[in-house]
Amino acid sequence: MDEEKKTERKRKRFAARLKSSKGITCTEVPGPNLVLCNGGQATGLEKSAIFSLIKENGISITLPKYIAEKGETYSFLVFNTKEDALLFYNTFNGKAKADNKGTPLYMNFVETVPNKDIICPHENPKGLLLLNDFITQEEEKAFIKLFDWNPECNNLKNRLVKHFGYEFRYGSNDVDLSSPLIEKIPEECDILWKRLEEKGFDVGVPDQLTVNKYSPGQGIPSHVDKHSPFGGTILSLSLGSDVVMDWKHHSGKYVPTLVQARSLLVMQDEARYDWQHGIQPRTWDPVIENRVENSTKIKVITSDTVPRETRISLTFRWTRSGPCECEYKTLCDSVEKVSADNLENEVASNLEELHVHQVYEQIAGHFSTTRHKPWPKVVEFMQGVPPGSVVMDLGCGNGKNILRRDDIVQIAGERSSGLLSECKEHIHGIGAADCVRLDLLHAMLRDNTADIVICIAVIHHFSSQARRLQAVSTIHRLLRKGGRALITVWAKDQTKSNYLLKSKQDQVNETQAETQITVGGVNLPVHENRTQFKHQDLLVPWKLRKVSENKLSNNPENTLLRYYHVFEEGELDELCKQANFTIENSFYEEGNWCVVCKKK
Amino acid sequence: MKLITHNMLTSKCLKGVMTGYPLAINATDVKVKEVDFNPEFITRVIPKLDWEVLWVAANSIGHGEGLPKTLEPKFEEDEDLLKRVHKVLLEVEVEEGNLTCPESGRQFPISKGIPNMLLTEAEVQ
Ligand SMILES: [Zn+2]
Repeated sequence: MDEEKKTERKRKRFAARLKSSKGITCTEVPGPNLVLCNGGQATGLEKSAIFSLIKENGISITLPKYIAEKGETYSFLVFNTKEDALLFYNTFNGKAKADNKGTPLYMNFVETVPNKDIICPHENPKGLLLLNDFITQEEEKAFIKLFDWNPECNNLKNRLVKHFGYEFRYGSNDVDLSSPLIEKIPEECDILWKRLEEKGFDVGVPDQLTVNKYSPGQGIPSHVDKHSPFGGTILSLSLGSDVVMDWKHHSGKYVPTLVQARSLLVMQDEARYDWQHGIQPRTWDPVIENRVENSTKIKVITSDTVPRETRISLTFRWTRSGPCECEYKTLCDSVEKVSADNLENEVASNLEELHVHQVYEQIAGHFSTTRHKPWPKVVEFMQGVPPGSVVMDLGCGNGKNILRRDDIVQIAGERSSGLLSECKEHIHGIGAADCVRLDLLHAMLRDNTADIVICIAVIHHFSSQARRLQAVSTIHRLLRKGGRALITVWAKDQTKSNYLLKSKQDQVNETQAETQITVGGVNLPVHENRTQFKHQDLLVPWKLRKVSENKLSNNPENTLLRYYHVFEEGELDELCKQANFTIENSFYEEGNWCVVCKKK
Repeated sequence: MKLITHNMLTSKCLKGVMTGYPLAINATDVKVKEVDFNPEFITRVIPKLDWEVLWVAANSIGHGEGLPKTLEPKFEEDEDLLKRVHKVLLEVEVEEGNLTCPESGRQFPISKGIPNMLLTEAEVQ
């Protein structure tokens, strides 16, 4: 009896606390929704723990939907019926363990739960076809047996890979047509083309196959299959596990699609040539629902998740030679080559969308775990800002350069919504600091309003000379007469910074041809991290790591490519002069060129 | 979004828009969050504001009470006024709603306290 009273007291105390600190209203009237008061993402409670609780205790209810918000110590369960919720509550409230220390888990009924569903407003890419249940379960088993080779044979960073017909070369993303492999595509695959033909798709017979084996947690970075070495159709057969594949277009469209086990994915036209696709390195995928609302079909990315299993994918391609003849130019490697400096505005903007904006959105959460300290020189500059000044931090990222000062106005502008919401949290409690989502090239702020502008590690993400100048000119426009700016960019010369790894430098000098990626007719080399820059315009890999238990674990990584224009000595000064600034100070600091300049 | 920020926002970058200022506020959720009062700071900031724009903005979201339409000289000696300005500039926050360009009618959503001022390529000058 005492125990029960104690539980009741605890449960009610939690309800009051949730109300006062989180605005969550608990109710004594049972319904289908429960809040788990002391178990959530931040306490390490996982959906699987709840599910095994239900299964192990033999309770016959439909598994609920689990909603856990990032950083919170509570979570929600949505049951199919009030009766299911009540049964769960009666069985586990105050009795189930919230953690391995044995703390009891307390729960309350709630009327509403947060809606974390995201509606995807875009249709699937044109030319993308998903043929579900293309093979039977027996056929799937036979394929897995055929291709599930000895894992020691080949290791490509985070997946296992094997080739047939021709070897796919990962550096140049093509094949060497002069040296075919002895092993051709196994004839067991012939049923696939026959079946496609029966369904009315006469695509012929491919001559190259790449088999990849992905464990849960492994992914593949966004990419387009290089145009010129391969034909207009690419097929992908999935075995063993469903997975969510993300599709990205340079217009900013982002479309996750469910690729089921035993499905055949056919990529043609836009999907083949003008979209990038990739798989995020996760052990789970969001549940994607197709709903009908107001008689239109919409795709909803729910907050519910399903675990991934080991997945084997068979990618079939048709090799070809000569330049690509597609009509999509942004991702084509056969467009007439141009120098990056003179990029057309549209091409530059597409390049930045794919290799700057989308990358920052993806790495937002990871970024803050590694970039939480502002640079000393920026702090020093910000500390010297006179009281009463209006400061604009353009490209503020997660807000690490915003000082906890209450005697200056600090407007933090950023394009990435992910970084900006972190910035918003970061500036919480700073009286005169505020966030705006904006693009530096079209910053929707009034002329002559800022006393100070800081623009830290931003201008090097603009991919043409004209756009870099436009960015610096915007800073000039926003400043009052006599106002000052601190601008920093990444330097091409890294010899005086900690960025270089001596051992790696020696190693790389001897290695073979570098990887290149073509965007809008520009060949962009992929940089080897921690080595000296050899080019001014390049893609720098960003490795996503999984954050677990607040430590960066060494689990498989996903590599995203960020575009950079690294600056030569004097180049930033020249840009500032062209924008009509007077240079007050110009210096090199830890691999960056920095300029303090003044509006005349 | 605080009103200090609103005072500096414009939609001038929109194609065909001349001044794009001030943006009209349509708020569906306004919160007041307490911030330490710093009279010297407020005194320094007031001259940098477009006062009338602040006055209209504050009234449009129901927080204009006690704010004079025009600013008297020697305002810095009126501590009550400084406190009121402090409140509308820094404590009042538009959490949800939108901003509307006075010329084109283009709306910019404010969500979770952050105004989204991004434009599409087709919209820029
Ligand atoms: Zn092409």
